[in-house]
Amino acid sequence: MIEVRQITKSTKEGVPILKGISFTITKGEFVGILGPSGAGKTLTMRCLNGLTRPTSGEVLFTDHQNNLVNLTHAKGRELRKARRQIGVIFQGFNLVKRLSAIDNVMIGQLGRINLLRSLFYGFTDDEAMRALAVLEHLKIAHLAQRPVGSLSGGEQQRVAIARAIYQQPSVMLADEPIANLDPTNARKIMQILKPLAEQMPIIGVFHQPDLVMEFCTRIIALKDGVVVRDGDNKMTRSELIDLYGAELSEIEASQRILQPV
Amino acid sequence: MKQNVSWTYSSYRRKQTLRNWTVMLATFFCAYWAGISCKVDLDALRAGIPKGIEFISYLFPPDWTAFADMAMPALETILLAFLATVLGAFLSLFFGLAASSNIAPRWLRNLSRFLLATERSLPEIVILLLLISALGLGPFPGVIAMAFGCIGMLGRLFSDAIEEINPATLESIESVGARKLQVIAYGVLPQVLPSLLSNTIFRFEVNIRLSVLLGAVGAGGIGFQLYYSFQTLQYQRATTAILITLLLVFLSERLSNSIRKKLSQEAKL
Repeated sequence: MIEVRQITKSTKEGVPILKGISFTITKGEFVGILGPSGAGKTLTMRCLNGLTRPTSGEVLFTDHQNNLVNLTHAKGRELRKARRQIGVIFQGFNLVKRLSAIDNVMIGQLGRINLLRSLFYGFTDDEAMRALAVLEHLKIAHLAQRPVGSLSGGEQQRVAIARAIYQQPSVMLADEPIANLDPTNARKIMQILKPLAEQMPIIGVFHQPDLVMEFCTRIIALKDGVVVRDGDNKMTRSELIDLYGAELSEIEASQRILQPV
Repeated sequence: MKQNVSWTYSSYRRKQTLRNWTVMLATFFCAYWAGISCKVDLDALRAGIPKGIEFISYLFPPDWTAFADMAMPALETILLAFLATVLGAFLSLFFGLAASSNIAPRWLRNLSRFLLATERSLPEIVILLLLISALGLGPFPGVIAMAFGCIGMLGRLFSDAIEEINPATLESIESVGARKLQVIAYGVLPQVLPSLLSNTIFRFEVNIRLSVLLGAVGAGGIGFQLYYSFQTLQYQRATTAILITLLLVFLSERLSNSIRKKLSQEAKL
């Protein structure tokens, strides 16, 4: 469970980007964060696992063992311990391109295993089998030994999801996970994420209102650094126009062009 | 069409021409001055040409019987360069990491970069002469001098390669709760490996040439054979040493080029 309490974030020059954002994500939820460019969506996500520290406010994370961690102040060991339980997937996949798919998946457990063993890639066959099983589940087991840099975008995002699943997190964050993918692959990734959300809540930033309405269970809309809507997964067209303004026509145009028939 | 501009092409061209001629004349003047202080003597040069030709005739034919004597020193030169490169590359890796802004804190990065730059400005021969006074003649100070001499260049190239890694990749490894050493083992090393190897192999090529030179100053190997043959007026023997040197340099260059070509294809991934 993640609880965000009134977080704000300003740039070095003091320009406020996030102006007091609050929400709570609980079990079984698949939350889609929508909003126009510059609304603070990605920054909010970065605050959720401590990659960025908010200027004020708190991010509270409850882990598997019901320990409460304040991610706003956590440092060193405490932060690493919390991060083990937060899976993250990114828009640019951000995998290690020259490592094989299976090694990238193994990275998911770095926070848990013995440091010395990990430095020499000393994974056991059991661990590898578990990683392979996750790849199998995502239907990319045949690519296990290929360097990730040689895979397509859709395949890379699956490896990234496999890494996050293998990490056995209690929550998954997804920062524009389908923005770099073609519509067919984007839909497939959503189809993978949807059932996963029943095991661990997923919070994702998306640019496709239609996919979010179809797959997510809840929509949080951000605009100019504040939550302007937090509720079910249905948004009317006029709500979307209010949210996106002129950007909506661009989003719709790109979807019309790319929509698979 | 008349346009409202405050300059004409001819005045612009005049300025450019004036600048070019100034630079050219200044260079010639400096060179002339340098010639005077170096005591350039064209008459001596004219008289020296036949002497030079005569000297070249002393060099031939090469003394093929010396070939066998020089096999071991040649091998020594190769081993010297190899050991120095391996040792130097290993040390450079640590300096390279310490000199990278995405791995090390700013103070350490700046300090390491400063040390690397200092080392680069120190010619290997100076290091060798210092070491010889401490360790005596022989291949050992040669290895140390060359290994040390690698660090400035390789450390810098390594850290440049490391700084080019996409920060998002490193961040994504941190996001699973990994420690810094794990980020280095999984995010940094695999990504820069081809570039590290390629630079190291290039340095091996440089070290082969260098070990010939350092050999002449006391580090042993083929360089010492060359120096010794000249000193004892065994010019035909010296020719053999020169030919072997050429062969070594040529082969190491070919080897390095072909390996680096493969690595650069690998690095494109």
